Amino acid sequence: MRSTILFLVLFVLAAAPASAQFAFAPSAVDLTGEWAPRVYNTHMDIGDYTGIPLNDEGRLRAQSWHPDQLDMPENLCRPHPIDIGLRVSVSQLRISTELDPETRQPVGLRLHVWWQEPEQVIYLDGRPHPSPHAPHKWSGFSTGWWERNTLVYRTTHLKEAYLTRTGVPKSVKAEVTTRVHRYGNLLTIVFIIHDPAYLTQPYIRASSWVLDPNQVIPPFPCEITPEGTIVPAGKVPNFLPGQNDVLRDFPTEYGIPFESALGGAETLYPEYIKTMKTLKVAPRTTTTHYRRTQ
Amino acid sequence: MERRVVLLAAAATLLLSVHVEGQGRGGAAQNAPPATARTGAAFDMTGYWVSEVTEKWRFRMLVPDKGDYQMVPLNPEGRKVADAWDPTRDQASGEACRSYGAGGLLQVPGRLHITWQDDNTLRMDTDSGTQTRLLHFGGSPPPNTEPSWQGYSAAVWGGAEPRDRRDGFGGPAQDATGRVVVLPAQRKEADYLRVTTTRMRPGYLQKNGVPYSANALLEEYFDTFSDAYTKNTWLSVTTVVTDPQYLVEPLIMHAHFKKLPDATGWDPTPCRADEPR
Repeated sequence: MRSTILFLVLFVLAAAPASAQFAFAPSAVDLTGEWAPRVYNTHMDIGDYTGIPLNDEGRLRAQSWHPDQLDMPENLCRPHPIDIGLRVSVSQLRISTELDPETRQPVGLRLHVWWQEPEQVIYLDGRPHPSPHAPHKWSGFSTGWWERNTLVYRTTHLKEAYLTRTGVPKSVKAEVTTRVHRYGNLLTIVFIIHDPAYLTQPYIRASSWVLDPNQVIPPFPCEITPEGTIVPAGKVPNFLPGQNDVLRDFPTEYGIPFESALGGAETLYPEYIKTMKTLKVAPRTTTTHYRRTQ
Repeated sequence: MERRVVLLAAAATLLLSVHVEGQGRGGAAQNAPPATARTGAAFDMTGYWVSEVTEKWRFRMLVPDKGDYQMVPLNPEGRKVADAWDPTRDQASGEACRSYGAGGLLQVPGRLHITWQDDNTLRMDTDSGTQTRLLHFGGSPPPNTEPSWQGYSAAVWGGAEPRDRRDGFGGPAQDATGRVVVLPAQRKEADYLRVTTTRMRPGYLQKNGVPYSANALLEEYFDTFSDAYTKNTWLSVTTVVTDPQYLVEPLIMHAHFKKLPDATGWDPTPCRADEPR
């Protein structure tokens, strides 16, 4: 009898944390609602890889990218993965509770962004990630947990996409850890992008939103023009290695050494300011730049 | 035998409740306010940190050209001031520290050294510009405080407000005497450090003279985390600058710092109007 009772006690103690692990983790803070972006974009220029810990392979892919690729029919309505979708300037964001379609019980959170309407479900019910061989999707597969009052989630199974809107690549091997902080009516999302194919170290960047309960996110209709309308049919605009003739425009305009504009982990730290002084800068063509805030 | 069963069941219940309570800092002890800011710290910010510049790189690692304020919501008055920026004049007139004021300091690439000056004051030294910020917990600016580059910073461990009704933990509760109380289940752990800074001397948001005024309000939110890939510890900062004199809307900036094991690389510099750091 005694051993039976002890067994029962031990079973209860052991089972408690295990069962909690597979239960839906209630939110520590309420993240749901409408969030208006306060996004100040960088990397709007071709050849601007500054601050990105790119490796040589990533740099080569980035340099082969041609802006006309955006006008190819298959790319016109191509969704952004949500980590880049949240970075563009029109990233009105809605966060809602995700319910299981059968039980109507909460299983996580759903993020919806206006531009190209990417959707991301963050499962908070302890389910595992699918097999590495499972299909990759634009917003991947995400599971989350709470660290103090911060929502943290890991996204795998992402399709190949971009880190910037100017062709810096992110590979199919990439995964992203995202941290969502609510500071009162301010939301800050920190992305930690790990890409063993194109980055030498995790790439960290952040964006913020403000609570806007009256925000209306309109539909995002996207029409694909027939093949050949903008880009000649059968062509994939690109630059062959060493033939990108616009690559030096960005560093020349802003007085940056060409090598520094190509990014790399060593360029991210204060010491690099001294290194830059030893590098050659192309003669300036202008010191007046397009003022996007005006 | 029956007594033994009851005792064992009671012991199990007690152990289980301790286990559940141990998941957080709940319970009666949690309701008691910490004696000092240091003992109540939500996380440890002390140590050496180096900025990792992954965003706004050309605005931070270089001195941008005059008039290059693409991502700052300046109003016409702010643009007028920014367009009149003259680093030579700043250097000569003793205003070289304008870009090292609290409003722009954490955007300047460099290292931080954070220590507890006392139990309720967090001290932040920077090698760039050799500045010191003091983050005062539980304090308010003494009357007649003279404006300074770093102003007066009031700090609080934020995010510990009671859960709201939408979290499913219920709204305010009342005790038997009718007082509004926070139930243990409604209590949240402190999550971040919130710092509000006022009484700053006019300074620059960027090295190229993009201004904030003496009336600016600086709100900062600090958090630390470890990334799963490198296991590095990071300090992330979200900065909100509200300044109706020069900005059409609050400017939100971000910076993050990687933790260092020691002071290696600490490189104190004076304030310089024509250098990135």
